[in-house]
Amino acid sequence: MAHCVLLLEDEPLILMDLEFAAKDFGYKALTAATASEALDLITKHAGEMTVAVLDVSLGEGRTCYSVTQELDRLGIPFILHSGDLDRHDEQVRELDAELIAKPAAADKVIGAAIAYALGEDPDRVRMAAE
Amino acid sequence: MSTDDESIPNRSNQAAMRFDDAPERFRSGHRSAQFSGASGVLFEQAMAQTRMAICLCDPNQADLPIVFANRAFRRLTGYSEEETVGRNCRFLQGPKTDPEPVARIREAIANEDVVVVELLNYRKNGTTFWNALHLGPIYNDQGKLVYFFGSQWDVSDVRAARAEERHAKEMARELSHRMKNMFAVISGIVNVTGRVRGIQSEAAEINARIQALGRAYETTLDDASSGSIDIGEAIRAVLMPYDRDSERLLLTGNGVRMPFTVISIVGLVLHELAANATKHGAWSSETGQVSVDWRPSEDGSTLVIVWSEQGGPPVDAEAIVAGTGTAIVERLLATARGAIERDWSENGLTVTITVPARSAG
Repeated sequence: MAHCVLLLEDEPLILMDLEFAAKDFGYKALTAATASEALDLITKHAGEMTVAVLDVSLGEGRTCYSVTQELDRLGIPFILHSGDLDRHDEQVRELDAELIAKPAAADKVIGAAIAYALGEDPDRVRMAAE
Repeated sequence: MSTDDESIPNRSNQAAMRFDDAPERFRSGHRSAQFSGASGVLFEQAMAQTRMAICLCDPNQADLPIVFANRAFRRLTGYSEEETVGRNCRFLQGPKTDPEPVARIREAIANEDVVVVELLNYRKNGTTFWNALHLGPIYNDQGKLVYFFGSQWDVSDVRAARAEERHAKEMARELSHRMKNMFAVISGIVNVTGRVRGIQSEAAEINARIQALGRAYETTLDDASSGSIDIGEAIRAVLMPYDRDSERLLLTGNGVRMPFTVISIVGLVLHELAANATKHGAWSSETGQVSVDWRPSEDGSTLVIVWSEQGGPPVDAEAIVAGTGTAIVERLLATARGAIERDWSENGLTVTITVPARSAG
């Protein structure tokens, strides 16, 4: 059973890009475009999840906050993938979570997320995948 | 004795200011030590000439009436001296005046404090202005409270400018966010297309260039309206991902403002040099260093960037020239009427790039 990376992103092209990159690293990608889809995936696959990459703004003022709470509860590490953290509401800023600033190459994002989850150097993770 | 006509040209009017007799009249009605003698004459002249609207209120009379208002006060409010003296300052307030600053004024008067507030006031003709009011107590030699001193300044323009600036900042931030998102989507398109067509490494190469451009553009948003950019910030942003620790990259240039048009060229050229340094040059070894300097040419018509590599492996000129990145840089600079000179010494590669800095307009 491959390890999984949960990807939450409301922009389909970015989501697809991240999905390919996750596969390159030898991980299965679970993709969600909304917080509720992500929460469903967590319910079904929590045991296999190595890490989650979460877009913060999900359109119409919605954020990934509920997903971060659930991941925290289950002890699954996550990183935020966002253009501008200042824009977000207090709630999200107070998470004080690991952040990768957009735009970043998809393989960098996935590499950093896996490295963060495993507590390793991002360069080492990438080499292991190649 | 009525309000001063603002249509009178300033210069002749300034001379006439000396004949504002309100201070004199006030002084003759308030014969006390403070306003007699030389200081009294100074008071008279200063009050008459200052462009700051000033009034004095008497705390020893019922309802703190204005006992003195200078010419600038009358000009600002549109009320004559007769219409002003004897009234409480609140006659300048109106329906849209916020009660909060008014309450602060009241509190300051009660505590004999100094207060500075901004409040909406009304002129005689009904028009409004934002009044930056400074109010404070004045004591005599015996420490007895004799006046409240009020100075008012029309800050309507300042407030409008502040609001505009806030709006501009919000717009810049929104723009910045959308631009980042746009670059992220473009990256996605390139990568996904590369996958589908089986040209992943080409796609990755294109993407690296797009990302470098994105980083360079990002730094230009803060003062987008000025038309020029701080090229140092753009250079720093483009090279940031290569700067794993401060030992590897040394930026020695200072903040040089350049027209916006140089940004794409600078972004792409530096990206290619950095990519080459990583593959073949100084950054392919652990101890290699790159220093980057930039300055405008003497006459300001070009931007000169000097890229120097030290401590890398022995230079293999062939390997560097062969890359597609090199071809792109050459073409780009030739098209822009710029220049690139490469100099391979024993220590490493030194590249001097000249970019024309004529603004597009």
